[in-house]
Amino acid sequence: MGTLARMVRQECVLLDVDVSAKAEILSCLIQSLYDAGYLSDTELLRRDIMAREAQASTNIGYGCAVPHAHSAALDKSLLAIARLAHPLEADTPDGQPVNLVFLLAGPRDSAGLHLKLLSKLVRLLHDADLRQALLSAADSQAICHLLLEKDT
Amino acid sequence: MKLVVFILNKDEFLEEVLEAYVEAGVTGATLVDSEGMGRFLAYEVPLFAGFKDFMTGSRPRNKTILSLIRNDGTIETLRKLVDQVVGGLDNPGVGIMFSLPVDWASGLAREETEV
Repeated sequence: MGTLARMVRQECVLLDVDVSAKAEILSCLIQSLYDAGYLSDTELLRRDIMAREAQASTNIGYGCAVPHAHSAALDKSLLAIARLAHPLEADTPDGQPVNLVFLLAGPRDSAGLHLKLLSKLVRLLHDADLRQALLSAADSQAICHLLLEKDT
Repeated sequence: MKLVVFILNKDEFLEEVLEAYVEAGVTGATLVDSEGMGRFLAYEVPLFAGFKDFMTGSRPRNKTILSLIRNDGTIETLRKLVDQVVGGLDNPGVGIMFSLPVDWASGLAREETEV
């Protein structure tokens, strides 16, 4: 199993999330990390992610957004995923609305690992077949499995 | 013959470094404006904007000096002189210097015109 796939927890893969703003998606994903017991302070992570969002957009195009942050709110790197029920209009490089959101959060002292994970995730998301498979996956287990397969 | 590559981050040493090249007997080199990968990612690729904090102290640009050198003795002299000029090539952030074997080259100055 690759490093990225190890960061995903099935309970933090949310399907058909019905939201109308990116901040709402972030709240859902942060809450999923908290509910799964991986997070000590939701507010702190939210602040760190929003601070990062304020620097530059994390919408990378082709329907994907990768909000991320280093934060003292957690002690290991984790990935939470949301597939949206309805594509969200957003400021994206290619004008496409967002339908897949990948929240990557890691501890403050692991910038090197965070950078590596972020780069790997974006590289995988360049694959149109994978994106399509993620969009049509039957359940969160299938999404985890897809990442597991690709992240070698 | 070798290609000597020196990626000089501290370009305030550029003049002295080139003087060292000449002193060592290198009569020609090409200077290229270049940029480190980390800085480019942090400042030019929005996704990596969060890593600007980790680039504190990095330079916006560096200089890459390319030179083809026939004589290994010249390279050794050059290495020592450059090391003195920059205060130690192994110190972090100074730059990277390395050489590669070259099996063919055209357009070089004639050997007898080298200092």
